[in-house]
Amino acid sequence: MSGTATSARGPRGGGLRALMLWLAAGLLLAVWAFPVLWGLLTSFKTERDVLAYPPKVLFEPTLDNYREVIFGASSILPNLWSSMIVSTSATVLTMLFAVPAAYALARLRYPAKRTSGFYVLATQMLPPVGLIIPYYLVLQKIGGLDTYSGMTAIYLTFSLPFAIWLMVSYFEDIPQEMEEAALLDRAGRLRTLWYVILPQVRGGIAVTTIFVFLNAWNEFLFAVVLGGNNVRPVTVAMFNFISVEQTQWARLAAGAMLAMAPVILIGLAAQRHIVKGLTVGAVKGGGRR
Amino acid sequence: MPSSGARAGAAVRTLAGQERRFALALLLPALLALLLTTTTPLVYLVWNSLHRLDLGMPWLSGFAGLENYVRMGGDPRFWNSLWLTLVYTGSTVVLQVVVGLSLALLVLQIPKGQGVLRVAAILPIVLAPVVVGLFWRTLVLAPDFGLVDVVSRALGLGSHNWLGDPQLALISVIAIHTWQWTPFAFLVLLATLATLPPDIYEAARLDRAGAWQRFLHITLPLIRPAIVMVVILRMMTALSAFAAIFAATGGGPGSATEILNLYAYRTSFSELNLGYGASLAVVLMGLTLAISFLMFRLRRAK
Repeated sequence: MSGTATSARGPRGGGLRALMLWLAAGLLLAVWAFPVLWGLLTSFKTERDVLAYPPKVLFEPTLDNYREVIFGASSILPNLWSSMIVSTSATVLTMLFAVPAAYALARLRYPAKRTSGFYVLATQMLPPVGLIIPYYLVLQKIGGLDTYSGMTAIYLTFSLPFAIWLMVSYFEDIPQEMEEAALLDRAGRLRTLWYVILPQVRGGIAVTTIFVFLNAWNEFLFAVVLGGNNVRPVTVAMFNFISVEQTQWARLAAGAMLAMAPVILIGLAAQRHIVKGLTVGAVKGGGRR
Repeated sequence: MPSSGARAGAAVRTLAGQERRFALALLLPALLALLLTTTTPLVYLVWNSLHRLDLGMPWLSGFAGLENYVRMGGDPRFWNSLWLTLVYTGSTVVLQVVVGLSLALLVLQIPKGQGVLRVAAILPIVLAPVVVGLFWRTLVLAPDFGLVDVVSRALGLGSHNWLGDPQLALISVIAIHTWQWTPFAFLVLLATLATLPPDIYEAARLDRAGAWQRFLHITLPLIRPAIVMVVILRMMTALSAFAAIFAATGGGPGSATEILNLYAYRTSFSELNLGYGASLAVVLMGLTLAISFLMFRLRRAK
């Protein structure tokens, strides 16, 4: 992707320069990948091997930690299930609201368009700590604490504004002529949106769905305050392995690996889209003001 | 002739009306949802901040006017958290942009293997901040066994209590945040740099502009919009940072890493003083909105 830009940077240096570049890049790779890889390694250790000094790279791997966090007393399966339900329902709801709204914001003419766009943007900036207090008080009053519906509703507060803005940038990419042609053919507005426009933003919908799901899965503050024994997402369950007396390192690592497996897999599978999703706003940002 | 013109005008008007109704129908559900889930709670938050609401002392509950805000003025823990919020936000954002941009410029020169680096960069971004905080607290920063401590000992710098010493703890949580989110700046800036037209550099080299001059006078102005965008987005994340610090230090030791988010949380849900917590959250909201407003003004000015 950068071949052209690279060649423009100046004459390629000698072998030393190349070596330095690779060293720097390798270091970079290590710094970012290492904690995760180390966690993976730790999850296969016994608690005794974990606390060896110097740290053991070679050891006899064990599956005990995984057995414990899946089937044992501190099983996180119910928590994975909670996370699944909350994240999925929040994602579906978010997309149902966000896609039509984003289309209107990106493409249609209507009064107070700037105001509504600004409103969506402003809601995105509310810090979650500010929302959790009123939510807690309200849900406590109506008996919504520790319920899936209460949790899902508050997840909309961060996912909906984000999804709307991401989708707007994808809708803006579609050539205007396409929908004009469809409209001249007397296809109704709704039919045009459904049959002509939406197929064009399939990629954008996929990227947005991924991001919304990731954010919902990783959410912690709302989960820890509004959850309870019924609804306890996996991010909260990580603290099962940490107590004042003792931290169960290996189990924590195994639990974290299981909890993060979905997002890591999605992240790796969709890495191209994720980079595009991250950059779409930034690259276009200059133009859109 | 005039009659057909009027007819066309009427047709345009109905079309415009139709478009307006359609737009409203598409937009209304989302706007209502946002109104219900964000704006209403916000109003309720402000309302609560004007009340005495301490679950530990429920008999004292009642309207208190500006009492909570007045209390803040003489609360050293509040001023400390406000200061820490600014330090945390400022330093993490600057670090992310500087490190991210340097890395992007570096990686751009590597002809092969960018894909691997991109995968490595994706990892921290997709992890839950709470897991990142716990990982660092145990595997990376724990005295004796953490990677950083092992390296520090191997280098002869000795073992340190990275999260237990007040000054080190602040540096540590800043490092954690920077570790997790620098890849974002890196990926965005790398993608932006790759879109720059190569012929500009060609011309500059003919003019015998040095590498540093080329960067300062060509690259930087061209990627400025992307940098501003990154700064805005990263600032928002830093201002709402919570889970990683909560997991790593819980705001401690003492209140050494207690940014406003954590102070509001601890006040509300550990000390159960929801009224005062609400007023702290209102200040945080005001601060966030003010900073974003400033940033957007800045962006427009460019």
